[in-house]
Amino acid sequence: MKRFVIGAVSALVLGASAAGAADYPSKEIQGVIQWGAGGSTDTVMRSVTPHAEEALGGTVVMQNMTGGVGAIALNHVAGQAADGYTLLMGAENPLLYKVMGLGDKDYSDFTPISILARGTPILVANPDAPFDDYAGMMAYINDNPGELRMGATGPGGLPSVVTAMINTVEGKMDVISVPYDGDGPALTALQGGAIDVMPAVLGAAIEGIRAGKMKPLAIFDVAANDKLPEVPPVTDFNDAYNTYLPWGPFFGVFVKKGTPDDVVAKLADAYAKGAENPAFVELMDNRGFSMMGISGAEAEAFLSKWQQGTTWLLQDAGLTKASPEDFGIARP
Amino acid sequence: MDAVLAFLTVFTQPELLLLVGLGTFAGVYVGAIPGLSVTMAVSILISFTFSWDVYPAISLMIGIYMGGVYGGSRTAILLNIPGAPSAIATALDGYPLAKRGEAGTAIGVTTVMSFIGGFIGIGVLAVAAPFVSDFALKFQPRDYMLLAVLGILLVGSLSSGSLIKGIFAGALGIAIGAVGRDPLTFTERFTFDLPLMQGGISFIAVMIGMFGVSEALMQLHHVNKDAVRQKISRIVPSLSTVKKHLPLSLQTSTIGVVIGALPGTGGDIAALMAYDHAKRVTKNPERPFGDGAMEGLVAPETANNSAVGGAFIPMMTLGIPGDAVTAIMIGALFIHGLNPGPMLMVDQPDMFWFIVGALVMANVFMLIFGLTGIKLFTKIVEMPRAVLIPLIMLLSIVGAYAVNNSLSDVYWMLGFGFFGYFMRHYGYPLGPVILGVILSRLLDDNWRRAIISEREDLGRFFGGIFSSPLSTVLLIAVILIFVSQTPLWTRAKAHILKPRNQGVQG
Amino acid sequence: MKIETEHHDGTSDATPGGYEGQRRPGELIFGAVMFLGSLFLVFSAWGIENTFGPNGLSSPRAIPLATTIVMAIAAGVILFKDARLPRVTGETVMKDILPVNVIILAVMLVAYGVALKPIGFLPTSAVFLIIAIKLLARRGWGWTLLVSLGSLILIWIVFRIVFTVLIPAGIVPEAEVIQMFRSLFQGAP
Repeated sequence: MKRFVIGAVSALVLGASAAGAADYPSKEIQGVIQWGAGGSTDTVMRSVTPHAEEALGGTVVMQNMTGGVGAIALNHVAGQAADGYTLLMGAENPLLYKVMGLGDKDYSDFTPISILARGTPILVANPDAPFDDYAGMMAYINDNPGELRMGATGPGGLPSVVTAMINTVEGKMDVISVPYDGDGPALTALQGGAIDVMPAVLGAAIEGIRAGKMKPLAIFDVAANDKLPEVPPVTDFNDAYNTYLPWGPFFGVFVKKGTPDDVVAKLADAYAKGAENPAFVELMDNRGFSMMGISGAEAEAFLSKWQQGTTWLLQDAGLTKASPEDFGIARP
Repeated sequence: MDAVLAFLTVFTQPELLLLVGLGTFAGVYVGAIPGLSVTMAVSILISFTFSWDVYPAISLMIGIYMGGVYGGSRTAILLNIPGAPSAIATALDGYPLAKRGEAGTAIGVTTVMSFIGGFIGIGVLAVAAPFVSDFALKFQPRDYMLLAVLGILLVGSLSSGSLIKGIFAGALGIAIGAVGRDPLTFTERFTFDLPLMQGGISFIAVMIGMFGVSEALMQLHHVNKDAVRQKISRIVPSLSTVKKHLPLSLQTSTIGVVIGALPGTGGDIAALMAYDHAKRVTKNPERPFGDGAMEGLVAPETANNSAVGGAFIPMMTLGIPGDAVTAIMIGALFIHGLNPGPMLMVDQPDMFWFIVGALVMANVFMLIFGLTGIKLFTKIVEMPRAVLIPLIMLLSIVGAYAVNNSLSDVYWMLGFGFFGYFMRHYGYPLGPVILGVILSRLLDDNWRRAIISEREDLGRFFGGIFSSPLSTVLLIAVILIFVSQTPLWTRAKAHILKPRNQGVQG
Repeated sequence: MKIETEHHDGTSDATPGGYEGQRRPGELIFGAVMFLGSLFLVFSAWGIENTFGPNGLSSPRAIPLATTIVMAIAAGVILFKDARLPRVTGETVMKDILPVNVIILAVMLVAYGVALKPIGFLPTSAVFLIIAIKLLARRGWGWTLLVSLGSLILIWIVFRIVFTVLIPAGIVPEAEVIQMFRSLFQGAP
């Protein structure tokens, strides 16, 4: 009896380690979501993963691991075995960790499975604000220096990048930057009049705009968006934005670098299929995200281009702790 | 007419009715076990109900939510371990009752009062949602800050032993809440360059440690003493008891709805504020507060259940979550192809009335399950302590781990468990620590937002307060409550009231 | 060993365990540690600096500094008051504050925390429950094993299977076993 038990257990253990990619996945896969339950990363991952599970023929158990602006989750996955059984489900900001002094790891320690979608930033204002478009806002700031309250979500967040872009293109704005811990709370404050202007991702603001609870000033893209065709792109006001746009936050699934290629291929294939699901596509469209669904070399190229552009933008705006140069990130 | 039909959807479809019931039943247990939270349960349900229609999915979630908020009171009363943060105040008077063998009565009153509070919350949601959400939006950072200060003044009513020890404990709680990377500037605070401290200290870990592990260690002192036999003959409170507490429960439910509707504050703060309110307005409780006063059960339980209806108000009218659970439900609505936001009430009024109907049903189920399963629950307290204590410890560990899947939370939980054990021995109250942790971010973030908005100018800051009626009222409330806690006021009041009291009694 | 703690046993938060007008054994040391700890935290709060912005009233330092100062003052007052109180007669640290049972369980909890990650949830918890229940209940091995393993399995099912909390598996190949059952139920291909 005893020998049987030992035999069975060792067979199980050996079986698991020797199985490799041929019958991957032979056990549950852990999906570590970098952000809290109910956030947009959480929603996106929980809605694409069931479709990917079908294609993969395995189970992905998702858990939220918050804290340290997502660095806790990233370091956790980086500390697991590179066997494809732990996925990192995250957003764009780890690419800024190094220059912001938030950690010494970023997506260069990971292999992208799929960059699912990209968001578009939009500048929105309280309906009572004394201006109706981007040009009006800039004129107001010039006439009333230090009076306009602009929402922010901490260094490295989308608003800080958009603000850095405006400062670089138009010269330094004299505004009050009021920090919130996410674009949801900040947009709530905007509707209550605690802040006047907020750079946010289109999907978070779209319903508020439709209801007239906030007014759009400009889309931070090179062309108008299908969802809000009447809102002008910021490049209509100033050509200089073409250098930095299109830019936007994104969502992606990653595994630790060193994961066997066939496992990566299998996962990439599953998530690509999952991202094509009509229900998921509709969800992303409703929230104003542009589908990407890229992987492999294309995804790597996208990541490094994103990192170059954004880190240097923040560096030039004086918002970084360390220069991108220190980490071998070349100026674009 | 459509509204009525939508409202009745849940009552006419047995499948939905069953799901609400199932959810409520599960919710009571999820709420009762410290470490299993409604937030967790609902986010797991998102993947689980992914392929379902939206009505069944929402039915199940609403059931869990309603049941879970109520369930937290069970372990608070029976074991002095609140199953959820919103039940902290319930332990203060519930556990003394269980020690007397009156857990059955305590649970009965709690259940009926939760039911009444739940209905008031739902009623306000159904009748006045747009009005309340407009009011909630008026709260500026400085108002949230004043609300936090108001909350911190509760330290006075939570420290029955020594006020100065309570003040120490409250300040300690605020400091604990500040540990880790500041979410607004990413500055490290009290991290001492340790990776363990980076993510901050989970508030649930502090709560489980201070109430769970330290309570279990305390119980070791009389491990061989027989458990208190619980009388469970009279569970449903008499009509006169309910009538007697009705005025108080109306007041505390109002507190619950408003605090629940404010984005950024939830049932935990509502329950503590309601407890404080009860202590203030109840002139002659049958038993003193902290010793098993019924009012001490009525207030927090009506408030946290009415906060459920409150939390749905900004969610349904504006697409803004009123708390963590409604945040996840908004995500669920997205996944099911709806667009929660200010237009939801216009585009899909049926959804609103369906949710109101499901909440009503969940509330009824809560009453049924609350009053029927008591025997089983009281058996838990009658278990030999030698088994109960190790199990509480194990559950505390797993629960602390489950909050954020993090081992450091387990270490924090154990650390605060040992610390809380000594605090109990030396007469430091634990309630204010938890209060401080809950309010820390609310106070800190909003103070900074408020003062940044006024360009760091204190003159402009106070000018802003007096230019807004809401802020002025809050500031006056802060001052009045503060003054009423100072010895000077107590003496003055005694002086003024003395002759009249003598006249009445004489 | 009879422990007399009926008076003010501190089991309810509403009636904390201290005495009015008397000082319990160890209370002065605890108060001193709190005071020194608070002073250290004041020092630490002073060192908080905002790298990305101004350090005035809106600094991330403001509230921590204010609260730690309140802590230090309160702890100082408590210490001063305690020092002047007479000691409780008839109580000792070993008997009333830290009896053997408490020390043993506390050590076991720390050991549990250390072993959880490398060894895994199931074996660690089993050992913890068996030893603790055997020690406290002093009943037969059969009863002890039945109660501890039974409740452990229940807890494991609720947290691991129903709530999919991924508690460290350690040396037990949990994920493989679960997958095995899962394919068994789905009818393996």
